[in-house]
Amino acid sequence: MTATVNTISTQSAEARDAGDVVLDVADLSVAFPTEEGVVKAVSNLTYQARLGRTLAIVGESGSGKSVSSMAVLGLHNPKRTKITGSIKLDGIELVGAPASTFQKIRSTKAAMVFQDPQSSLHPFHKVGKQIAEAYQAHHKVSKQVALKRAVEMLDLVGIPNPQRRANSYPHEFSGGMRQRAMIALGLVNNPKLLIADEPTTALDVTVQAQILDLVNDLQKEFGSAVILITHDLAVVAETADDILVMYAGRGVEKGSAKEVLAQPSHPYTYGLLQSLPSHSEDLEELRAIKGTPPSLLNLPTGCSFHPRCDFKSQVDGDACWTQLPEWRPTPGLSNREIRCHLADPVATLKHDEEAR
Amino acid sequence: MSDQTLLKVTDLQRHFPFREVQGLRMVRATVKAVDGISFTVKEGQTLGLVGESGCGKSTTSRLVTRLDEPTAGVIEFGGRDITHLKEHELRDIRRDVQMIFQDPYSSLNPRQTVGAILSTPLRVHGLHQGKEKARVQELLELVGLNPEHINRYPSEFSGGQRQRIGIARALAVEPKLIIADEPVSALDVSIQAQVMNLLAKLRNELGLAFIFVAHDLGVVRHFCDQVAVMYLGKIVEYGDKKKIYEAPEHPYTQALLSAAPDINVARGIAPKERIRLVGDVPSPIDPPSGCRFRTRCWKAQDICAQQEPPLLSATADEATRAFREGGVHLQACHFPEVKTDLVAEVPA
Repeated sequence: MTATVNTISTQSAEARDAGDVVLDVADLSVAFPTEEGVVKAVSNLTYQARLGRTLAIVGESGSGKSVSSMAVLGLHNPKRTKITGSIKLDGIELVGAPASTFQKIRSTKAAMVFQDPQSSLHPFHKVGKQIAEAYQAHHKVSKQVALKRAVEMLDLVGIPNPQRRANSYPHEFSGGMRQRAMIALGLVNNPKLLIADEPTTALDVTVQAQILDLVNDLQKEFGSAVILITHDLAVVAETADDILVMYAGRGVEKGSAKEVLAQPSHPYTYGLLQSLPSHSEDLEELRAIKGTPPSLLNLPTGCSFHPRCDFKSQVDGDACWTQLPEWRPTPGLSNREIRCHLADPVATLKHDEEAR
Repeated sequence: MSDQTLLKVTDLQRHFPFREVQGLRMVRATVKAVDGISFTVKEGQTLGLVGESGCGKSTTSRLVTRLDEPTAGVIEFGGRDITHLKEHELRDIRRDVQMIFQDPYSSLNPRQTVGAILSTPLRVHGLHQGKEKARVQELLELVGLNPEHINRYPSEFSGGQRQRIGIARALAVEPKLIIADEPVSALDVSIQAQVMNLLAKLRNELGLAFIFVAHDLGVVRHFCDQVAVMYLGKIVEYGDKKKIYEAPEHPYTQALLSAAPDINVARGIAPKERIRLVGDVPSPIDPPSGCRFRTRCWKAQDICAQQEPPLLSATADEATRAFREGGVHLQACHFPEVKTDLVAEVPA
């Protein structure tokens, strides 16, 4: 792999003041050696999560959005995973850290809510007990006190009748309630960082709205940092402050969520937004991105997106084929960075949109 | 598009009886998955079925394809009553009505080549005899796959390509109606648009009628002519796409539209009004009396618990006007009210 130097963040003063950095990921690469070759799931990823802000990590399956977050909690098998770079959670370096470090930080500093609440709660144990256990793992308290705390948490996440529901098994909960219980479990030790990996993908739309509102409310109350991993750009539009768009294991665009979605400056982000059907307007034809995402075993040379990019002809020479674009501020936009060779991506994409 | 009615469903019901041990007693109960729904699909027309999990949209599609037999009601296809036909009598229907499934991984036999997958329906129905290979290649080309890949196995294709194979299999026997059950929800965003465009192209070229089951309201708006909104085994609102999305009358439809996150928020054009429902969908084993939505409805009054609202036009005037314009709009609510501010107004 070519050595990549990551640009030091060029964020505006406003973004710097927004909150302390809880999670500082720098030049992170995660690779899985397999019989068929090395799967480069994440390559040279750099991002920060700040207290009181929601960072959305957006990408399609195989873009590395989940893999990078699992590395934060040490959920990869160290024997079968090669992790390089740096992950600093609240000042603690996690790359290469022993299992005992992860045990300490899990739940107290960072917690994760998974997509499928059915499979992430233990089916044999009562919901209240599972939450109490997580509390007891980090606090020297009696069972009764821990259970009381669990009931408080269930109440906090909006489960009606929490005293009684703490005595229920996960299968007695509906999907939305289970996800609420998962969030209660995640927040029981008051972590500074909550990673929500597609938290509403398995839920119905009316319940999804409830859960997203809940996550937003809790964030305001606890002031923690939230990383929202999702493929749904509409969810990002409604919930996130910042966004990192990933493609084939690399970040391609980052900035303020609303600004990026309103005016994307990377051809991939632009393509994704163009391909979405809308429930608020009628469209003639959807503008699909041609082709399919590349295999992580055999990434394209240069920019990973070039085989699918409509704009590579507008870059002089063969840079798109041969050179991996470095992070750079988008010309003409503040607080925005992209990895793209286009000289003036804003103008190029604007011209394209008008031409359609 | 002709005005010929292809599929007519009247008062369709499917109840699944089951037994459950409660303490020391065996209790019999039924899941009322589909509980009295009626709709029609004309030739070349697309009906969208939307609703949350457990509302009966997938059961409806299984009933219409007669993969399952209804408990009550009538299904007419092309004027013929197919409600209780036996398996051997269903052969013609199997040819006319085909299905596209959600999961492109589990709906293709991993041990068969694409050629075998696509030629099986031809053999079963005795079509293109002796020229099966040519037809399979034609089908692959039709769905945008390389005809030379006829000897490949499903595992050699990506998710989007597999879904194309599933589409080709449905088209192999030249059906008139295709039931597509969440055909793009398992696909990545960038691939979804490709498959949606393919389906739209095929629909226009081949004049197919569709029943399109989906939970993504954007996808449904893009693809369908008419939309039926289902809740707990009932249709609560039914009508032309434009009516359902821009002037919904039933509180549930309004809540559903309102709950769908909207990308336009990033562009600074948020919907003017937001409705948030509390709680979850009740169990279809013991649905609420009267109007099934009343337990989550902000308008619910005594009458809602006592009487079930029928699926009607809001006013008689509306009905006659709609009839003249050919735009139907029905809803089942005691207190219907048009709301037009639930989706963002996007400047053209």
